Amino acid sequence: MTDLADQGFHRVIRVKAETARLAEIRRFVEEAALEAALDLERVFDLKVAVSEACANAVEHAGCEEVPLEVCARLQARRLTFIVTDTGLFRPPSPPRESFHNRGLGLPLMVALMDEVSFARSPGGGTTVSLSVLLDRGAAIPV
Amino acid sequence: MDVTVTKLGETLLLETTGDIDRNVCGPVEEALNEAIADGTDTVLLDLRQVTYIDSGGLSVILSGVRRLRERGWLGVIGPNSNVRRLLEIVGLLVDPNFRVFEDEEAARTALGDRVTT
Repeated sequence: MTDLADQGFHRVIRVKAETARLAEIRRFVEEAALEAALDLERVFDLKVAVSEACANAVEHAGCEEVPLEVCARLQARRLTFIVTDTGLFRPPSPPRESFHNRGLGLPLMVALMDEVSFARSPGGGTTVSLSVLLDRGAAIPV
Repeated sequence: MDVTVTKLGETLLLETTGDIDRNVCGPVEEALNEAIADGTDTVLLDLRQVTYIDSGGLSVILSGVRRLRERGWLGVIGPNSNVRRLLEIVGLLVDPNFRVFEDEEAARTALGDRVTT
């Protein structure tokens, strides 16, 4: 385990709320997860979960002018990504026939993460927290 | 995102590379829709060079499987272990109209079996 994984860190990325920025967010997630010394499978899980949360935020925040913020925090051997959009929730519009992924994002987040939580931000946006425990294997009672 | 359409025997084989996320999955969806609209009962998607897939890409596959429900199946070739895990989470691995092949040879064998039975 690296020193960094034990010391913890905190970093933030802010991008325009558009799906074209998802790949950039995934690189941010990958770098943070690797620094936390997670194995490649968990790194992949985090990329999927955070990317899905961001995609939902883009879809529902509905305004590219409002930045999408992803915060990575490693503390007490828990790596948490907090996805915050400051837009007002609205149903996706216009409905697109080719957009069949309704309902898949949330099950993926729940299946891949150790903890998932949603909250309304004080400013009116939505916050999604996605966490993995660095010692997950050791923490599970036999 | 580029999609190359070739054939394995008589079966359409779609090849693509990199990340299949919702931002770039359009060409895969179009190629798949076109193949299915042509009346084919079997389509193969080569995932050997695909490193990442999100719910947008998974939905394209699920949609293809649904559309082939009454007449055949959709097969993927060589998904990496991470992509395969996501296919499992969304229920594709237990779908009778979906198949996973380790490599092209396994797909060819399955197609051969299907033709002769």
